[in-house]
Amino acid sequence: MKRTKQLDRREFLAAAGAAVGVPYLIRPNVLASLGRTGANERITIGFIGVGGMGGYHLSDMKGFREAGVVNIAAVCDVDENRLARAVKEAGAAVQPYRDYRYILERKDIDAVVISTPDHWHAVQTVHAAECGKHVYVEKPACCTIEEGYAMIAAAKQNKVSIQVGSQGRSQPEAYLAHRYLVNGNIGHIDKVTCFHYNSPEDGNPVPDSDPPPELDWDFWLGPLRWRPYNKRYCHGTFRWIMESGAGQIRDRGAHVMSCAMWWMGADGTGPVTIEATGTPPTKGLWDSAVTMDVTYTFKNPDWVLTWNQHTGNAVPAEERTGKEPGGKITRPDYGAVYHGTKGTFVHWGGDGGTWVEKKAREWKPPAGAQDVYKSPGHKEDWFNGIKTGAKTIMNIEASVGVANLCILGNLSYILGRKLHWDQAKQEVVGDEQARRMMSRPQRHPYHL
Amino acid sequence: MSVNNLQKASLAAAAGTTGISGAAHENAVDALIAKIKDTNDKVRTEAWLGAGKVGAPAVKPLARVMTDEELEVARAAKHGLWKIVRHSGRPGADDEKKAVVAELMGLLGNDQPTPVRREVLWMLSEIGGEESIKPIAALLSNKELQEDTRMVLQRIPGRESVAALEAGLKAAPEDFKLNIAQSLRQRGAKVRGLACVKLVPTKKTDVKPLQ
Repeated sequence: MKRTKQLDRREFLAAAGAAVGVPYLIRPNVLASLGRTGANERITIGFIGVGGMGGYHLSDMKGFREAGVVNIAAVCDVDENRLARAVKEAGAAVQPYRDYRYILERKDIDAVVISTPDHWHAVQTVHAAECGKHVYVEKPACCTIEEGYAMIAAAKQNKVSIQVGSQGRSQPEAYLAHRYLVNGNIGHIDKVTCFHYNSPEDGNPVPDSDPPPELDWDFWLGPLRWRPYNKRYCHGTFRWIMESGAGQIRDRGAHVMSCAMWWMGADGTGPVTIEATGTPPTKGLWDSAVTMDVTYTFKNPDWVLTWNQHTGNAVPAEERTGKEPGGKITRPDYGAVYHGTKGTFVHWGGDGGTWVEKKAREWKPPAGAQDVYKSPGHKEDWFNGIKTGAKTIMNIEASVGVANLCILGNLSYILGRKLHWDQAKQEVVGDEQARRMMSRPQRHPYHL
Repeated sequence: MSVNNLQKASLAAAAGTTGISGAAHENAVDALIAKIKDTNDKVRTEAWLGAGKVGAPAVKPLARVMTDEELEVARAAKHGLWKIVRHSGRPGADDEKKAVVAELMGLLGNDQPTPVRREVLWMLSEIGGEESIKPIAALLSNKELQEDTRMVLQRIPGRESVAALEAGLKAAPEDFKLNIAQSLRQRGAKVRGLACVKLVPTKKTDVKPLQ
């Protein structure tokens, strides 16, 4: 390959960090004074995206409002029906918006919760950080390598606390698993195999049509290249479209592989090769892999992470009484097996429900055992980050690392070939087409 | 065909082990198009998965089927075309890639339907080189395609694409200058007099707060 045809590193980083030094047209009140909310002060929050997970977060946050931890000041959605429901849920004195940038303009708002489709995560997070807002953003963090780079840069430059919604790390049994594994109970771990059921096929494909009147389709698409509205590509179903949700490997991989990277002490590291195969849907608009096998090879230390997406491949779940820290296992169809020199260890779920084997739950640390960080809860951990500047458990660097696994797995599947990754330079090596696909130009004016 | 066969087809497509040459091309293209138009969705899927190895000769025939009135046939054709683009972009396949790029450039003209031209633009964003800049940049003046065009130019590395964007900025109507400025900034170029508007809110809701 001729060097002149590659997007060189300087060009790529210039693109990814283009926010720096660009003159913005913004109103003078936008840039809130950077600083930490006092230990006893309420954090004032706005919600960007209030359907699906956003609706859950809004409801959940009301508990923190009642406890005097937060104020809820604003809700925002591009779907007027969802927005109207959120206004009712949030109560009086909460201002509704269609355009999240009105929220970013408000100096009284300290932080935002972003629960939009994946293709909006990076743009809105970067914009929020540039306006001095702390961010809780749904997982996976980003859709491209470039987006992840920009998110990290924006968080650092603006000194804001970012928590990404891979909340598995904050579950009670995740702590028990982490402690069990780092103390060598299954020996040296050289392989982690994640299991998950298939991504769905669209059983009811329909032609493109006009969007419903309550939906601002242009704003829903945001950074993505223009396409007409389709009923099978919108709320919820965006998960099965490659350019947005991109399948189970992102939707759940961002949970299960998040646990793996945390427990393996692998945050900040990355694979050297990624090789994926899979089967596509046979009809319809959804184009994410139905079945999928991805192998990530790590070096120094050497270990292998696999993502195996096949319905029926789950490790049978343990019998539980319901009195365990995480209660009964309600999501037995995904999780991971950790292979060590002295045995194996299994967990199920990995998101808001994370369940681990009995041997880890019942293990009593001997004197001198290594302890690990125990999250007080995913949102509580974020509040602590906002008030103290402490790194959150699913901070932006770790989250981008996990999202990159998902992105690179899909990229290898799409291209049908093995990829070589340079973790230090954050780039694909020796494949010009793959390098171009590390970024995706964004529609005006919805860009990083 | 069973799912297992689909998996085998996927693996074979990924491996790209079956080369085709000479007079076999014509037959291979005809066979591909026939299967792409099949009424059985699994046959269509197997066909587009294997399109990569058919390569450049299948580009224009597949593009013609992309506008088929049968939605799933059109989708299969589009998938097949993308498969060719992804296969030809692999390292060490420069001749194949050049041949595919040449065929794609032939689909940018106004004799083609806009959805086909738009898709072809994005295909060129992945594998197009210097030779594709001029025909792509010509579409900066096309109202329906100009936004995709400037994004595609943004993605193609090298000085030529930046130069095309700079020329496009000079010629652009006022309501499109900011779009091109966005691309130029992403490419690291300095743009004077056109402030970035990404943080400026523009969209109002009719939903009212509770009293």
